[in-house]
Amino acid sequence: MCDIIWCKKEVDGKECDTINYLDPYCFWNWEGTINCAECGTVYYIHMIQGFMYKGPEERPGEEPDTSPLYADKPFEGYANYRPGVEGRTRPYECKPRSVLLGVADMVKFSIRGRPVRGWRPQPPSAGLAGSFGFNWDIQKLSPEIWEEYQEKMAKGEVREW
Amino acid sequence: MAKDPRVTRIEDLPGPKSKGEMDEMKMPYEEYCKKLFDVGNEHTKPIALKGIRWLSCTMYIFTPHSVANLAELGAEVIKIEMPRMGDAMRHTSPFNECYLYPLHDTRPMTGTGLGFTNANPNKYFLTMDYHIPEMVDVFYGLVKKSDGLTELYRPGTLDKWKMSYRYLSEINPRFIYVWGGGFGYGPKIFGGSYDILGQAHAGLASITGMHEFMGGHATKQTNWVIDWQSGNLITCSILAAIHHRRKTGLGTMIEFSQVQVPTRMLGHTLPMYGKFGIVRQRWGNWDTQLAAHGIILCGKSDFPDADNPQDKFCARYVMVSAFQDEDFKELCAITGMKDLFDKYKAHKDRVEGEAQVEIYGALENWAADKSRSEVCKILNDAGLLAEPVRNDREVYESPHFRERGTVRWLDDPLFGDMLLHAGYSCGLMEKTPRRINWHWRPVGADNKKIYRDLLGVPLTQIKEWYNKAWI
Repeated sequence: MCDIIWCKKEVDGKECDTINYLDPYCFWNWEGTINCAECGTVYYIHMIQGFMYKGPEERPGEEPDTSPLYADKPFEGYANYRPGVEGRTRPYECKPRSVLLGVADMVKFSIRGRPVRGWRPQPPSAGLAGSFGFNWDIQKLSPEIWEEYQEKMAKGEVREW
Repeated sequence: MAKDPRVTRIEDLPGPKSKGEMDEMKMPYEEYCKKLFDVGNEHTKPIALKGIRWLSCTMYIFTPHSVANLAELGAEVIKIEMPRMGDAMRHTSPFNECYLYPLHDTRPMTGTGLGFTNANPNKYFLTMDYHIPEMVDVFYGLVKKSDGLTELYRPGTLDKWKMSYRYLSEINPRFIYVWGGGFGYGPKIFGGSYDILGQAHAGLASITGMHEFMGGHATKQTNWVIDWQSGNLITCSILAAIHHRRKTGLGTMIEFSQVQVPTRMLGHTLPMYGKFGIVRQRWGNWDTQLAAHGIILCGKSDFPDADNPQDKFCARYVMVSAFQDEDFKELCAITGMKDLFDKYKAHKDRVEGEAQVEIYGALENWAADKSRSEVCKILNDAGLLAEPVRNDREVYESPHFRERGTVRWLDDPLFGDMLLHAGYSCGLMEKTPRRINWHWRPVGADNKKIYRDLLGVPLTQIKEWYNKAWI
């Protein structure tokens, strides 16, 4: 359940007729201005404990504090604005971290600067039937990373924690 | 020294001479614990399950975790994987990014995702296509030399292959057999399982999350808690079965339905229904039995300029507890809610739903212009319990977890520098502590060790099987 602003603003002689959905998590206790995702009309609302205490009132000329999470036009088929449409709906912040690559992220050192085998390709197993020994001699098998590691240590970039 | 050298006088012995002296000589309890558990030096102590050998025909998290517990406690766990491919979980990393290489010789550009972590430490990795007739006897050979097996196939699959308990117990009467899966026998016997299915099927998700009128929904825990917890509970059963075998000499079968596990975590929910017919509702970040005793949202982030959204937007939650009358009075005094204290002096009044809506709303209004750390400081200074809701980075930086060794770095013999947070979070043991030796090893990394050293298979034979992709 979440509250909505149903925009009825006349734009070019036609009613905007857009439903702007107010995500309950963000608007539970909230006061400020919010734009219509379709026509950009700015509305003032004041919500207390999920109840629309005041508004929506038009506030022409004001900058919106935020945008709706999602908007659609149910009487015009399935047109909608998904989350994160710039200038229309709220930026989609639900990212697991600041940079999401979605592809294999090669790393050669952990966050404390020590070698970690997060890059490819790696030398194959030395043993029979895919068997691996119990220790990987990085100095012997990945000498370039070993060199880089020595440099990092000399520069003091390798930390204990 | 006594005149007769055969007489031992207590005053000649080292150590305390009286109870009072003994008490005086005792080190402070904290020092005693530190010395006793000696965090960081677990590998100098004996292992608890030395001598136990366990087979694991498992994948994903739930069943692998049940034997990971054994491996951390020192059992020799042999994980049998599909030749060339391995456990499907190896290919399921967070967002297809976090890989460690290599996976297998035949897949030089493929790695194992970090999703594989914590469910597979210390295991030996064998490949075998045990369902083909040519390998059945080899599989039986392993059964003869092992104490038990955990498998997760649809019910009856291993029975079809003549590898279920009723077959294996004839080969090895001491054998302990674990089936772990979705529903177990019953109306949905062929139903597979996911963690989320368990959370839904057994009603756990129905009491998690905020109530709908507060904008919440029935909610699953982000992580696969039922997978991890099911693994733990299977391990309990395995240890009990091992004890039973010591007394009787006989193995047993354990049948474990994952979707029943959440019912164990529901507390008084079902007994309450049984007694009163009341269906429990969810109450999210608050508490149905105590008030104030919940998590509130503050207005400002502790890290407003951070790049990471978890820091920038979510470092705003605080756990607050002040349910005793005196504490609640203090909470109301320092947050300017004296009228609320007058209104809800008695705990039975403030624990009511409407009262909680009012109290937490007022608390969040008070915290609206404060950051999480400001709220914590104000409340802690007043002698009240308040803790920030930490994210991963803050857990990593927390001195509490670091000092106790819960979060620590491991120089993995194959994969290098890796951060640990699971193996050492299961309680400290003085004599035979858990330990992590390695996170995991590539697919088939221990083929030679197991086939040749344990089963005595000649190397030429191993090579032939490998070329045929039987192993």
